[in-house]
Amino acid sequence: MEVGDLNIILLGYLIPFLPLLAFIIIVSMTKKFRLTSAIISISAIFISFLLSLILLYFRLKDTNAHNFIEYNLPWLSLGNFNLNVGILINNLTAIMLIVVTTVSLLVQIYSIGYMHGDDGFSRFFAFISLFSFSMLGIVVSNNLLQLYIFWELVGLCSYLLIGFWYHKPEASDAAKKAFVVTRFGDFGFLLGILILTYNAGTFNFIEIEHYLKAGNMDAGLLTIVILLLFCGAVGKSGQFPLHVWLPDAMEGPTPVSALIHAATMVAAGVFMVARLFDIFSLSSDALKIIAYIGGFTAIFSATIALTQDDIKRVLAYSTLSQLGYMMLALGVSGYTAGMFHLYTHAFFKALLFLCAGSVIHAMHTNNIWEMGGLHKKMPITSITFLIAAFAISGIFPLSGFWSKDEILVNVYESGNKILYYAAVITAFLTAFYMFRLYFVTFTGNLKDEHAHESPAVMTVPLILLALLSIISGFVGIPGTEKSIYNFLYTGEHPHEVAMNLKIAISSNIVALSGILFAFLIYGLKLIKAETMKKITGPFYVISKNKYFIDEIYLFLIRKIFFAITEFVKWFDRHIVDGAVNLVAFLCRWAGAKLRLTINGNVQSYALIIFSGMILIIAVFAIYNPEALRIFGGR
Amino acid sequence: MITLGHYIVLSVLLFGIGVFGILTRRNAIGILMSLELIFNAVNINMVAFSKFLTPDLVYGELFAIFIIAVAAAESVLGLAIILAIYRKKQTVNADEMNIMKY
Amino acid sequence: MALIIFYCMAVLILISAILMVTSRNIFHSALYLAATLFGVAGIFVLLNSYFIAGIQVLIYIGAVVVLSIFVINLTKKITGENIPQFNKQIIPSFIVAAIAVVLIILAVLKTDWFKRISGGTIAAMDNTAIIGKQFLTDFIIPFEVVSVLLLAALIGAIVLVAKDREDEK
Repeated sequence: MEVGDLNIILLGYLIPFLPLLAFIIIVSMTKKFRLTSAIISISAIFISFLLSLILLYFRLKDTNAHNFIEYNLPWLSLGNFNLNVGILINNLTAIMLIVVTTVSLLVQIYSIGYMHGDDGFSRFFAFISLFSFSMLGIVVSNNLLQLYIFWELVGLCSYLLIGFWYHKPEASDAAKKAFVVTRFGDFGFLLGILILTYNAGTFNFIEIEHYLKAGNMDAGLLTIVILLLFCGAVGKSGQFPLHVWLPDAMEGPTPVSALIHAATMVAAGVFMVARLFDIFSLSSDALKIIAYIGGFTAIFSATIALTQDDIKRVLAYSTLSQLGYMMLALGVSGYTAGMFHLYTHAFFKALLFLCAGSVIHAMHTNNIWEMGGLHKKMPITSITFLIAAFAISGIFPLSGFWSKDEILVNVYESGNKILYYAAVITAFLTAFYMFRLYFVTFTGNLKDEHAHESPAVMTVPLILLALLSIISGFVGIPGTEKSIYNFLYTGEHPHEVAMNLKIAISSNIVALSGILFAFLIYGLKLIKAETMKKITGPFYVISKNKYFIDEIYLFLIRKIFFAITEFVKWFDRHIVDGAVNLVAFLCRWAGAKLRLTINGNVQSYALIIFSGMILIIAVFAIYNPEALRIFGGR
Repeated sequence: MITLGHYIVLSVLLFGIGVFGILTRRNAIGILMSLELIFNAVNINMVAFSKFLTPDLVYGELFAIFIIAVAAAESVLGLAIILAIYRKKQTVNADEMNIMKY
Repeated sequence: MALIIFYCMAVLILISAILMVTSRNIFHSALYLAATLFGVAGIFVLLNSYFIAGIQVLIYIGAVVVLSIFVINLTKKITGENIPQFNKQIIPSFIVAAIAVVLIILAVLKTDWFKRISGGTIAAMDNTAIIGKQFLTDFIIPFEVVSVLLLAALIGAIVLVAKDREDEK
């Protein structure tokens, strides 16, 4: 191994370790000292960020995109079966590390301002550091077991951070809901892992890939296993039907929403599919299902976002919708497009959330109808929000355009008309609801005179993220040689990255029309919002109530699940316990009966002895043919 | 012609009656008397076999004499014990002599 | 001829025995026992062992039965009970005894005794002299031991039945 490799391995182990160190220090030592905790946490992530940049530089220097560096520290060895703490550094890892560390760093700086005065200030930073450690652990893992461990850790951190204000019942309920719903996904994930490793004999990604490519697993079983692994992504990344936890997770502090539920943790599902894409691509059926689930989630969540009143809820559904886009991209084998969108989405979505946090901090409410005209009082927030809104709508030349366009190209080229039109409609809806949000919140009449701009510690991250939203797309201009596509692409076929003008222009037109429509209703108020409500009638009600999915789930749980548990309870109480009681009862009954033989009466003893003797003779007579001869003849 | 079989069947029947008596008689003395029946059944057996199988050797008869002697001794002692129990419990019913039960 | 006498004796024995175990009055039982023992002595005579027959009458009937009658009288209550003499186990006992008897008789009847031994008749000789001689030569030790046994029984019986000095006072 060259020296360069050694450096990379060291970086690989160090980058996740630093936030862990910060967590340990804060929890054990600096809980009382707020600013110290914040500084420790931020410095840890900042160093990790710098190290990630160095690692990216190393990977950029290496022109072969297929190269990777893997290293294993042996942990447990049982015969042929080895468990390792290992890292796998390839270009995908490098990009994801940048995303996670950048967003984490900016969010933590923002949190100094947002969480100011909160009782749990140090606890917040401790948990954020733990989360950063877990997320970075997912990114660098090279085997399924380690991935799963960090996966669960991320879920734990999410629980801790959603329920951060634990004395609020809605918050702790939301945390529980998040944990339980993702548990369903994680269970499928675990099953998939177990089946896969049982067959392959190893947890390691690359070894499994070789095993599967050699055709060792039956195709049907492979599809099932892949879908089970995908269950984990369904849970974590909020695909339908396990999307219900994400909107409720908005009960947590807004920096948490920005970091975890916009940029990183929910992207973990997408990342996992990308990481294991060589495995996933072996089953075209599974990929088709993934594409449909992704596409459906995208349009489904977009329709709900149209009618929500809570600013964070709109953003949550928007996140679900964009995650659907990413899954859709991966499903049509547009692996580079999906990852590119993850990367750009992280920046502008985090920006949107932090702006929302800024607004909430100033207005002390989440309801957009109580806001208005904030553009005058909070200019920085307003402008950065606008930039992010343009980015998410996919307007040229912001970052969102390049990544969304690429996804549309991939979907179009896969030939699936339904999914393509769904994606285009979703783009329209996305533009519409984002600008509905912008116009209602920032334009119009000023409702609250006391609103003020946030302090610098909060606005600087906003500005940085806005810059990133603008420029981060330029690494993905199709047709250039040093683009992100070639950086990420690890397939065999030469990748066609020519720009498809038709799609680019049509997507821009669609987005602009969405913006126009929103402007007409909410900006100029030419069309009344109430008339829109009346026109759409029942659709409005369904959309507002999130398609009543939570109610349906609750009903199913009450009727079906509880019925099953009632039965199980009955079974346990009467049959299982009954069996145990039966044994005790039999012992006592037998004892009671046998007691009667010891009655002190010698004659009864004599009878028993004599009967026993006769019995023995009889048994001998029957079972011994020699003796039987005596009774039966010669 | 009386065969050995006759004597043995007689002996077995007497034995059966004696066993029945031991297991069912209430009076303790009755039990002892049934025991005497058993001894007699055995004696018939012994002597019959001796006479039929080995007429010159008298082992069966000798053994029968010993059985009679020992049976007599034993019945003496049994009756003495019954008397002793009668003095304490004022009863000779075997049903009521059950202090060995716990 | 001998067969008829045998059957008479056998009937006497069995009937007396059955009456003995089923009689309510214990005194009657003792008398039936005596009758049974007489019958057995008769069987011994049929078997040409006159010595055994004599001993049987002398010891069993003369000593054991008489002693039993003594004890019966000593343990009878003044009111005289004629309670049923069968305890609770009568049916199981009957079944068990019957099965035992049937099994053994089956075994006995199926055995061909006389292919195994030569001759089928009783030796006509009376062996009293030989018995006596055997007692004092080959069987002298059992003879002496039985004497000691009888002595022990005697002393044991006396000890068991003796009245305590304190009771008298």
